[in-house]
Amino acid sequence: MNATAVVINLIYFLALAPFLEGVMRKVTARIQSRQGPPLYQPYLDLLKLLGKENLNAAGHPVFRLAPLLAFASVLSAVALLPLAGWSSFLAHSSDLMTLIYFLTLSGFSILIGALASGNPFASVGASREMMTIIMLEPVLAMTLILGVVSSGSLSLLPATAGVSATRGFSYFLMMAVYLVALQAFVSRQPFDIPEAEVEILEGPYVEYSGPNYALFRYTLNLKRMFYSWLFVVGFLGFLLPEGPVLNLVIQTGLVLVLFVLISVVGATHPRFRMDQALKFYAGLVMLSLLAVGLRVKGW
Amino acid sequence: MWLWNKIKQLAISFRAGVVTLRYPFESRPAPEDFRGQPVWDHAKCIGCAGCANHCPARTIFLRDICQEVRILLYDSSRCTYCGRCADLCPEKAITMSDRFELATDNRQDITQTIELFMMTCQRCGRCYDLEIKNYIDRLSRLGYRYDSLEVRKVIQRSTADFSPEELEKTIGYERPGRLDK
Amino acid sequence: MSRAEELVLWLRKELGGNLISAEATAPGRIFVDLKREALVTAAAGLMNRGARYQVGVGYDARKSGPGFALVHTFAFDKDSLLVAIRTFAPGDDPEFDSLTPFIPGAGWSEREYQDLLGLKFRNNPNSKRLVLSDDWPTGIYPLRQEVPHDLMPPAAEEVAFRLEEAPPGTSIVPFGPFHASLHEPAHFSVYVDGEDIKGCEYRGFMTHRGIEKLAQTELTYNDIPFVAERICGICGSVHSVNYAQAVEAAAGIRISRRAEFIRMVALELERLHSHLLWIGVAGHLIGFDTVFMQAWRIREKIMWLAERLTGNRKTYGMVIIGGVRRDINQDRSQDIRVVLREVEREMLSLEKAILKDRTIHKRTRGVGYLSPEEAVKWNLVGPVARARGLSIDARRDHPYAAYDEVEFEVPVADSCDVWGTLVVRLKEVYQAIRIINQCLDKLERLPRNEPLSVDLEGPIPPGRQGLSLVEAPRGEAVHYVLTGEDNRPGRWRVRAPTYPNLQAVPAMLLNNKLADFPIIVGSIDPCISCTDRVLVVERSSGQARLLSRQELESISRQKRSGK
Ligand code: SF4
Ligand code: SF4
Repeated sequence: MNATAVVINLIYFLALAPFLEGVMRKVTARIQSRQGPPLYQPYLDLLKLLGKENLNAAGHPVFRLAPLLAFASVLSAVALLPLAGWSSFLAHSSDLMTLIYFLTLSGFSILIGALASGNPFASVGASREMMTIIMLEPVLAMTLILGVVSSGSLSLLPATAGVSATRGFSYFLMMAVYLVALQAFVSRQPFDIPEAEVEILEGPYVEYSGPNYALFRYTLNLKRMFYSWLFVVGFLGFLLPEGPVLNLVIQTGLVLVLFVLISVVGATHPRFRMDQALKFYAGLVMLSLLAVGLRVKGW
Repeated sequence: MWLWNKIKQLAISFRAGVVTLRYPFESRPAPEDFRGQPVWDHAKCIGCAGCANHCPARTIFLRDICQEVRILLYDSSRCTYCGRCADLCPEKAITMSDRFELATDNRQDITQTIELFMMTCQRCGRCYDLEIKNYIDRLSRLGYRYDSLEVRKVIQRSTADFSPEELEKTIGYERPGRLDK
Repeated sequence: MSRAEELVLWLRKELGGNLISAEATAPGRIFVDLKREALVTAAAGLMNRGARYQVGVGYDARKSGPGFALVHTFAFDKDSLLVAIRTFAPGDDPEFDSLTPFIPGAGWSEREYQDLLGLKFRNNPNSKRLVLSDDWPTGIYPLRQEVPHDLMPPAAEEVAFRLEEAPPGTSIVPFGPFHASLHEPAHFSVYVDGEDIKGCEYRGFMTHRGIEKLAQTELTYNDIPFVAERICGICGSVHSVNYAQAVEAAAGIRISRRAEFIRMVALELERLHSHLLWIGVAGHLIGFDTVFMQAWRIREKIMWLAERLTGNRKTYGMVIIGGVRRDINQDRSQDIRVVLREVEREMLSLEKAILKDRTIHKRTRGVGYLSPEEAVKWNLVGPVARARGLSIDARRDHPYAAYDEVEFEVPVADSCDVWGTLVVRLKEVYQAIRIINQCLDKLERLPRNEPLSVDLEGPIPPGRQGLSLVEAPRGEAVHYVLTGEDNRPGRWRVRAPTYPNLQAVPAMLLNNKLADFPIIVGSIDPCISCTDRVLVVERSSGQARLLSRQELESISRQKRSGK
């Protein structure tokens, strides 16, 4: 429509993403019988990190640029989204491929940042991250392709709406696959393997501190929110009403519910090992391919 | 199977409710018989040195600055709150209080000093060991003590009679420095 | 003929003139003095007869005796028998034969005395530095008598432990000294190929601060229980009881039954909280933090109970030589029973939730595999050994305190992996509860007027040896005491259960995934501070100056701007 949609997109995501992490932490705390931090804690954390000094441990310009690139690319992805049923101002010059490109770019920036830091834990983390991206990006792509198959268009709005256009067998299969993969998209247990605090000390981020780290955290929060949002709009889009305000409110509510679910699953599972997870991911990719095949057949 | 197991796990969690305290916003009183910071009652203390001899952390110091005046200094920063001093004090001058929130940036806050005017005993001047039955609890250092209050160090020497030379020697006591190459 | 007599006879026959003396000072203990030449024959003979190697103790006896002494202790678990063989070497030629070639578990003990006493070991396959820091000057042996306890050699710069190169085809991932899964400083340099562990090298003893030296130069007999308790942050009572038992054995002191039962209650409470702690930490190490919080929630009840009983959550301070300091009266024992009932109920549901969780199976089964034969070879102890099918437990095999009067089982698993240690520890929780309940029953029936501690009428004679075992939550802890002059031990040696277990960790890590490193190392519940014998009281640093807030701030600022 117009430029305001882009601004609203950005504001909506930027404002809400840390809050959702707060929800996650609160729910996890409740399951662990703890008080837990207040819901606004992630904002404070970000502010605090932003106020710190930037240590460039690696002394490499790539190391400094990586967080900016990651943050910028995820913001670009967010700007494209058809939030609340409008297509964004940028929609006519972008499509699914742009979205996937930006998302992959942000993952890729984390990788190069990690590799530039030269820390052995970061490189183990980076290699795990890389495997995760390679295995899971297809699941995301297949989900959207499901919509493309139904709507016949690569633009974002019809494609996301198309996912739930026919609610046959392929729809439910894909939904299940996506839900499982979501845990890995948002990197919570059992799939928070690239970060695994006790093993490789937050892996790719181990050398980061201060504002750079804050950017990575923010990126992670935005990504988490994006993947949950995609689930809500894609798979539950048919539930959302026409009016943009009401649409947005209900969307937000559903995203919240989804976050609670993610936290519950995260808090009740140990972390898998990479080799175990890879087998799992391979299964997911196969199933998502199957779902697309079924959709082409019209099931 | 899997789902049921997870539901049971959640049930355990929720049955317990929230168990962590809102500490430090909420105070948590210590139970009775808690071994907190020891507190000296200067009216009861007779300066027998029993506590100083048996403190495993060696954090009670005694310095005789003349025949009549003995200074007892307790430095909580190294105290392990074991309560041996309170156990062995023949006059019950030490009580283990319930204070445990002792963090401070001023060492003086956690130091207790008593100045004691000593009578001269008929037998030896300082005769704590006769009050203790258990052989291995008898003190090894009788008589006059010259611990360094400045660097908070027990000086493992004592004299039967008050010795101004020893006092002189220990005034400028410094901890052993590093070995030179 | 009992096993003890049989062994003594055999030693007489085999060693002939090389045997100086063999005496059984207490039931279940034989102290043998040998000539230096016969060490290997005797040790190999004992091993062939089914002994389990425990620990080596070296000390400096140049003033009072014939030079440096080296004691090796062996356990015969089936016969409740401990054998200590002692050899001497003259002060100017401190060389002994190494036992490491046929007892790998002796490696650390020997390297320790090589560092601390300047002993030499013929044929020791690995003679790298173990205990002393890398910049410690050569030629100063801190455990020798002439070295003062507060000696501070200059810190050298640019001296570092030379770690081995990674084998070809692998790269090094350094774990530690500070790492989220190691709660104490230790360094593992892990060789990985992708995510597979192909080997590792360990460098520890970073927190060695010389408690043993302190004990034999500064402290007195009754100070040491309180210092011993602070060797470990988790199994403190184990060390204080163990030390007191060793001194009592050396001095021939009998303590009252009441005191023994109270010591047992303290020990078993400690086992309860330690196992719950471990279960929580294990959960955390595999990324399952809810297990961590729930196990610690249950543990907290025990901590509060201990606080009410002893005056402190963790450092109970109950033990002195000759008995205990506080009684457990009727009210208190009622308290304990109530808490234990709650804990047992909560544990039952937690246990079910853990054991039935398939995802936990996935992370623990087959991980850290070590065959029973290897476990014997490395002298593993405690739950780590019991998870590998070795039924050893000092409480049953070498009963101390009043463990011969209570009934309990020793759970054993045969899966030989981390899962096994998890199961064993879970089961032991119930046994500990059972033992405490029996102790309370007995305490209630004992006469009220039994003294809590016995008084000593005379000094403890010097030169006597005492050896004591306590089954700590992590396995058997050994204390050796040689009584000395001046109301303090001449030598006190602590061997914590982690000491043998840690030596086997490289073998357990082999061919596992990097992601399993935390849980494998965690499975032995490594207590680095016990192993290194850390002491929090540092009396000689000279840095005990308090920094004011401003100073601290300005120092940190300076650091930051790189000045
Ligand atoms: S409580 Fe223990 S450590 Fe503290 S002063 Fe008394 S004897 Fe010393
Ligand atoms: S033991 Fe008691 S009486 Fe003796 S010096 Fe200490 S406080 Fe005073």
